[in-house]
Amino acid sequence: MATISFAKSLVNPALKLVLKQSHCSHLRCSGLPTVTPLSIVLRRNYAEKQVFERTKPHCNVGTIGHVDHGKTTLTAAITKVLADQNLAQKKGYSDIDNAPEEKARGITINVAHVEYQTEQRHYGHTDCPGHADYIKNMITGTAQMDGAILVVAATDGVMPQTREHLILAKQIGIQHVVVFINKVDAADEEMVELVEMEIRELMSEMGYDGDKIPVIKGSALCALEGKSPEIGADAISKLLQEVDSFIPTPVRELDKPFLMPVESVHSIPGRGTVVTGRLHRGVLKKGTECEIVGHGKVMKTTVTGVEMFHKTLEEAQAGDQLGALVRAIKREQIKRGMVMAKPGTVKAHDNIEAAVYILSKEEGGRSKPFTSFIQLQMFSMTWDCASQVTIPDKEMVMPGEDAKLQLKLVKPMVCETGQRFTLRLGDMTLGTGVITKINNNLSEEDRIKIMEGKKAREKAAAKK
Amino acid sequence: MKQMFESYSQMIFQLVRRLHFSPVCQAAESSLLAKLRKKTGYTIANCKKALEMHNNDSDKAEAWLNEQAQAMGWAKATKLAGRTALQGLVAVKFTKDHGALVELNCETDFVAKNEKFHKMIEDATIACFKFAHTNLQSKGPVTKMELDSEQLANLNVEGKKLSEVLALFIGSVGENAVLRRAECWKANSKDIKIAGYTHPAPAVPGEYSAGKYGALLAYKQSGETEDIGRQICQHIVGCAPNKIGVKEKDKPAKNSDDETCLIFQEYLLDPSYTVEEVLQQHNAEVIDYVRFSCGEIVETNMPGVEKQPLDTVQTLQ
Repeated sequence: MATISFAKSLVNPALKLVLKQSHCSHLRCSGLPTVTPLSIVLRRNYAEKQVFERTKPHCNVGTIGHVDHGKTTLTAAITKVLADQNLAQKKGYSDIDNAPEEKARGITINVAHVEYQTEQRHYGHTDCPGHADYIKNMITGTAQMDGAILVVAATDGVMPQTREHLILAKQIGIQHVVVFINKVDAADEEMVELVEMEIRELMSEMGYDGDKIPVIKGSALCALEGKSPEIGADAISKLLQEVDSFIPTPVRELDKPFLMPVESVHSIPGRGTVVTGRLHRGVLKKGTECEIVGHGKVMKTTVTGVEMFHKTLEEAQAGDQLGALVRAIKREQIKRGMVMAKPGTVKAHDNIEAAVYILSKEEGGRSKPFTSFIQLQMFSMTWDCASQVTIPDKEMVMPGEDAKLQLKLVKPMVCETGQRFTLRLGDMTLGTGVITKINNNLSEEDRIKIMEGKKAREKAAAKK
Repeated sequence: MKQMFESYSQMIFQLVRRLHFSPVCQAAESSLLAKLRKKTGYTIANCKKALEMHNNDSDKAEAWLNEQAQAMGWAKATKLAGRTALQGLVAVKFTKDHGALVELNCETDFVAKNEKFHKMIEDATIACFKFAHTNLQSKGPVTKMELDSEQLANLNVEGKKLSEVLALFIGSVGENAVLRRAECWKANSKDIKIAGYTHPAPAVPGEYSAGKYGALLAYKQSGETEDIGRQICQHIVGCAPNKIGVKEKDKPAKNSDDETCLIFQEYLLDPSYTVEEVLQQHNAEVIDYVRFSCGEIVETNMPGVEKQPLDTVQTLQ
């Protein structure tokens, strides 16, 4: 004890000095008998975490292309070139290549996430390893791309599977693709020209504007090794410029019309009905006209007050948990699962198409596949509803697989394309999905049909 | 090592030769290259090499390319041989008394979606299907023959070895591909039928199909009842039983979702019945089945597997 207090007295003056600058916790250092001022300073730096500064618009891009055409090298080269301008942290090839232990365990999330920024924007960069893997990530929402960089090696040119890469890009709704012709150091000019011609041709064939797509030629390896800057670092800079200008910045949630799923409803004596929930997107101000939709009802009203943590709020932003006072509506009229939104922006639907990923057993799903006509409970936003599933393209859906499903809901609920949902059966989560298409609402006849059992369906089929 | 040296020296030689080309012939050459590439589909680097070697005579260059394709394919195949290939397809081809189930792997599922890959696995499946006709002796109710990748590579299709076709394919897509395994079946008596199924199934059921999962089933069915071979096969693909199970010996699992005996499993297409009940209703009996799920074999397990020579035949009972 004596030694500790002695040490304390030794350290304390220095400690105070440091504390003045750092507001470092006193407790942490005082317990150690032989702390020198130097180590305290080091400790402070160690505990400090970099703060993400949101100064530029964010955009997600990814690389697609053949395994040997240098996607990873390109990603490494981008970080290196930008690191030289102090805009990114340099990543080595092995940092980007997917974690091997993840691969070994068979739970390939398989997405290397790299961040960097240009003068204009901040980027999240994804590598896209396989079709099924990517579709899964897209559906579950773990990764998304606003645009893509297609990497093609000048030595090989367009490969048979390049077509498949572009099909994937189309399927996940990527409208903007920038092409990078890699390995030009190993090819000559006419080969590169030919590759460019082929790519433009293929892109046009796949429904992109092949003539206007930016094509940049360079060598990621040269950039990485700092050799011949005209095809190395300069080409990478040029590629990033094109990415900056060609891939548009996605619309932020804040700029969209407001929408709030209703979590609960309270009646406050003397004030009226208060609807609570998390503002999903947009901005909500006092006095805004709104529409409450769901459970087969549509009501128009006005928001007369917005509160957060029992304090009134001028303006609530997307992500805020709030209560909204609504005019002239009784508590009984509103139910959890309804949606409050800008009038005319949302509608209730009961016949939708969706891309769904069915969890494998390891991921907590079921071990068995399912077939058409299974009844599943669909959960989305704050509502849940029984739905009948039909599989248009396959005879069954296996666990661990993605599929297109048609869902018919028992009653119309607020649905829009891009909305995510979960499918459950009893106490088990079967899968998760994203709505891709809204079909015409069911007729009364169809609605009766989805309530029918298997026997009735067979009977009807026999009659035909 | 010697090969590497040779290829390098060739590259240098060509580099030197390129310097002698006059700029006048550049334009003509470029369109020739484009044409040749479009016609043959070989990599641009190879097309260029071919043209240079034959003084821009595109016919000769094409002939040379076709000649070289095999060698290049082999070279590429050898180079890529160590890389993990766990994507791909399982294909099945069957008639009433013969069946073949084949798995072909590649590195990315992009390649597995390509038509060249589909052609490749179809060729392999046809080869196995033919093999089931010719090379199997008749013993027991069903003659079964398991093939591993080496045995598969030795099968013939249109006068070529499968390994050669595979090397050509690898040369063209630039990714590793492996003929993983195959199963060739022959029914030895009239009342035994063979059915096959792959998932995802084609819109119109046929003799041949390919998907991520596949199964072959040998079954007996008598009487006038509706043929349920395909449905049972679908159930096997879907529910992956470990064994058929014997009613007297095996006991049903407590939780029906964990059931691994085929006969006790809930029938996929109507969970209110067990498979056994469905079989009884249709006067059917399952003799044997095999199920492949694409990529389920871990590669490191492969080399230790004992190989049986091509002419030994594995029979039931």
